[in-house]
Amino acid sequence: MNRNNIFIHIALALVLVLVAAFAGQLNKWRKSWRPARFVPIEDKKKTMTVEDISLSEHSFGAPEILVKFKSGVTQDAIDRLTAERNDRVEDRIENIQGWEAIDDFDNADAATLVKEYQQLPEVEYAEPNYEINLDEAEAGPLVPILPSDPQFTDQWALSNSGQRGGKKGADISATLAWAKTTGSEDVVVAVLDTGVDYNHEDLTENMWRRPEKMEPYHDNELGTIDDEFGFNAIDGSDPMDDNGHGTHCAGIVGAEGENNLGIAGVNWKVQIMPLKFMNAGGSGSTKDAIEAINYVIDRKKAGVNVRIISASWGSTQKSRALGEVIRKAYENDILFVAAAGNSSVDNDRTPHYPSSYDSPNVVSVAALDRHDALASFSNYGVKSVAVAAPGVDILSTWLGNEYEEKSGTSMATPVVAGVAALILAEHPQMSVDDLKKKLLASTDPVAVLKGKTVTAGRINAAKALE
Amino acid sequence: MAISKDSAVENARNDLAKRLKINSGDVKEKSVEDADFPDMALGAPEDDEMSGQMMTRGWRIKLEAQGQTFEYRADKNQVRAYKFKGKNYRI
Repeated sequence: MNRNNIFIHIALALVLVLVAAFAGQLNKWRKSWRPARFVPIEDKKKTMTVEDISLSEHSFGAPEILVKFKSGVTQDAIDRLTAERNDRVEDRIENIQGWEAIDDFDNADAATLVKEYQQLPEVEYAEPNYEINLDEAEAGPLVPILPSDPQFTDQWALSNSGQRGGKKGADISATLAWAKTTGSEDVVVAVLDTGVDYNHEDLTENMWRRPEKMEPYHDNELGTIDDEFGFNAIDGSDPMDDNGHGTHCAGIVGAEGENNLGIAGVNWKVQIMPLKFMNAGGSGSTKDAIEAINYVIDRKKAGVNVRIISASWGSTQKSRALGEVIRKAYENDILFVAAAGNSSVDNDRTPHYPSSYDSPNVVSVAALDRHDALASFSNYGVKSVAVAAPGVDILSTWLGNEYEEKSGTSMATPVVAGVAALILAEHPQMSVDDLKKKLLASTDPVAVLKGKTVTAGRINAAKALE
Repeated sequence: MAISKDSAVENARNDLAKRLKINSGDVKEKSVEDADFPDMALGAPEDDEMSGQMMTRGWRIKLEAQGQTFEYRADKNQVRAYKFKGKNYRI
């Protein structure tokens, strides 16, 4: 190697070192400028990891800690307490009453501040203001996402903070699941019920519409039907809800989230396909249920990505034909989530249909209350009831842009159907077998369910997305 | 149109009189109580009837005729005969 080559190599090495150093500095600057505590809605599909979450030490004005003051502590008292420590309340956190974001002018580290505030008798809880980076790895703790929907605080099933005397945490961990996905408009969930009020303010954006290029449906008995908004198996007319039950179930699956209206569904975004086979009184015939399931299968074959049927109904009458059409749905990769029933009986001894059919796509759902107790009315069955979900005092959409609380395994069923839709939003190609396995593996153990359901657990949406 | 408690009792009384082939004046009201029924068929489904599994608030109507007690169930949407000679009827 001659003398000139040596100089060239040294120069190249110097350039590389400088480039690396500059890149490192850029990365440092980039990290410093991350301002977020809450995950922006548009970024909610991205995931966060342990590495992504680090204490905000300087953070250009971002508050150091989050403090929850005890109820009854006035804003004046809070201001005084913070001023005494040369701190200031930077922000009050909307939707979670009592929480304040506190900034320290002395730039003390967050751990010290947390300790200091936790010792105050006025403080219920303090924690560091974790800084979140949304653009890296895969797994790790998630930060809850809270929607702007004004009645969300009454949706204990999604986030149980102990409201109205409930048990804190006895929920489906929806806010953590939403850090991963809030659903997808590519997933279609058929709500097989009394129809759906597809004009409801909190549903209309999430309703399925027959694609323009798809031919209207043809039924051998009813003839050609304009199924623009779904299917009415009773008479082929509009699947508009004239009872309210179907609208309630639809809202649980997918009332539009983050729209500043009413409630949030388990899915903020999804397509709900209304199917009407029950009348204004809330009852329907086996034959019409079969027709409606056939419709779903036909639409799936025609290219609609309908992967889930939510069935909040039943009886103790077994129909072989209904069992067969549900199996046909299985063969077409469609999950069938069904209410276990409300007669407080053991379905292993007294089966309830369709939830007790042994088709591999059937997921039978029991109901829990806000205390994590099996609802007094709920059926159960260690062999025949797969899983439990919140089903008492569930707030959801009702006819005429209203919202009502209702109870029943009817309400628990769309919770599970909704979680299944979240899974499909993340894993669109997942088979129905794997989807069911995933659901059944995604529960929190609940003591009272031991010996009562297959999984002895409450469905957990965040676990379902792990 | 929503059914009121009074009209539900009246419907039940007339239905029972018809089933027993007696005058409705011979049917006596024994009790009418608010009740939570397990489903939207008020726990009284007809054969081959599927119903929404939502707890439903309504009225349990007990009537007396010919020395026997008969039960009807009603809510704002419907009136049903409960296990009349072993069978449920939506009226």
